[in-house]
Amino acid sequence: MTEFVQQLLGGFATGSVYALLALSLSVIYSGTGILNFAQGAMAVVSAFICLTLATDGWSLWLAIPVVIALSAIMGAVVERILVKPVEGQPPLALFTVTAALLLGIGGLVSIIWDNEQHAFASPFGSEAVHLGPIVLTAQQLGSTGVAVVVMVAVAVFFRYTDLGLCMRAVAINAPSAVLLGIRPGILIAAGWALAAGVGAVAGIMAAPTLSVSSNMMDGPLLLALAAAALGGFGSRVGAVMGGLTIGVLDALTGRYIPGLSGDLSIMLPFAVIWVVLMVRPLGVFGQASAVRA
Amino acid sequence: MALLEVEGLTARYGKLQVLHGIDLSVDEGEKVTLLGPNGAGKTSLLCALSRTVVCGGKVSFDGRSLGRRDASSVARLGIGHVPAGRGTFVDLTVLENLRLGQLGRARSTAGNRQGDLDLVFATFPILADFRERMAGQLSGGQQQMLAIGRALLGRPRVLLLDEPSLGLAPLVVRDLFVSLARLQSEWGLSLLLAEQNARLALDLADRAYVLAGGRVVLSGPTAAISSADLHAAYFAGHPAPSASRNEIASEASRD
Repeated sequence: MTEFVQQLLGGFATGSVYALLALSLSVIYSGTGILNFAQGAMAVVSAFICLTLATDGWSLWLAIPVVIALSAIMGAVVERILVKPVEGQPPLALFTVTAALLLGIGGLVSIIWDNEQHAFASPFGSEAVHLGPIVLTAQQLGSTGVAVVVMVAVAVFFRYTDLGLCMRAVAINAPSAVLLGIRPGILIAAGWALAAGVGAVAGIMAAPTLSVSSNMMDGPLLLALAAAALGGFGSRVGAVMGGLTIGVLDALTGRYIPGLSGDLSIMLPFAVIWVVLMVRPLGVFGQASAVRA
Repeated sequence: MALLEVEGLTARYGKLQVLHGIDLSVDEGEKVTLLGPNGAGKTSLLCALSRTVVCGGKVSFDGRSLGRRDASSVARLGIGHVPAGRGTFVDLTVLENLRLGQLGRARSTAGNRQGDLDLVFATFPILADFRERMAGQLSGGQQQMLAIGRALLGRPRVLLLDEPSLGLAPLVVRDLFVSLARLQSEWGLSLLLAEQNARLALDLADRAYVLAGGRVVLSGPTAAISSADLHAAYFAGHPAPSASRNEIASEASRD
């Protein structure tokens, strides 16, 4: 039983990273209808920048907010320069742009940094924390805590701020928003900025466990896509619930289903996506397009 | 000089041209209605004015040409457009919908915004009762009021209203038009209304333009337009089914 709870909590910890990444995907998807396959790669850049700053002697608690802000700016710049020109094009064009972004960023990372794996010291220290019979690392507790804070902040942003309200409106009915004098372009750039910032947190929180490398976020992105599919693309609540669920499922199947640990565990996200498409394609919290005349 | 001055307006959807050179004007404080059968171009004309369709020709607002401005910037200039079918944000509350009407506006103080919100609730009391309800859960008539209230909060100088009676029960439409009659005096705006319900529209408005096939076929003060004129304009080339000319003429008094 202890083992089970231990796996469950560990699953929540990893799941919180997938939840953050899935949240980024859903923010961009609901604002623009684009699935940003480069979200993981963008998070890798953030992790590398953080690593470089830390190696240069920066305190992590200063570096992390700086990297998040920098990532948000980069997200907005990417949107304006690379994505805006293909606005309104058919889905294949949009997909091509994000795929190209994915490959391009991978190449850039190899050039600016390298193809090695780099250790990343946890900002939370390396102690173990004992909660009764359960043992968790400070990293697990800390990263989950940070992820929860970020998720709550995003929820508050969308629910209580004017900018969040405008972004929600554009996601529901862009033509109506335009008729009210709202400028959709700025909001879409803001969405990419927010997604990039949240993705940066995901990358940095995952870095101590995964080690920083150019393909560190490939696995998490796949799991985040499965999470978004499970929760419903475009639903922020769905993304978070999906991420946590996938994290727990991943931990439990890896531990309890013989043969599915290690590399074969990658079957899980595919299996989840397949089941979702068969049973409820919209996802648990997904809604059919809400644009009504 | 008119508030809104339109010359040779054209509009097209892809390769299909739907407006063939419209001339039109709306003066400060006027209520003007656009009439015409389905497909005549009423919706296209309003969309051309709000720049939500590809259009050509000259449009001046308050003496300045609209030029190549995009839709959101035309809205901020003071041309409010309530589209056909309402266009409310169905997954947001009534209050959130109204707030969005205020956010698009260029300059306003918190005091003004609260005052305007109170005025909308005075114009459409039902919205005050339902302020926390999801817009998608309102009835058609209530959503229409929400869409109009939301546009009003942008303090437009001209309000373009596209078929507000669409899909609504006659009693609801009658109440709606009573509110519309007060809009001009309560909010200090001019009204350009596209409508299928010709009788109510002619009662409300000062002047009318009748469109057919993308052109203006009749225009003038509403008092001078009779049912016979309307009939001739709508059904040009198709004789009236079994009604005699005397019957049409007696209908012209419009009880």
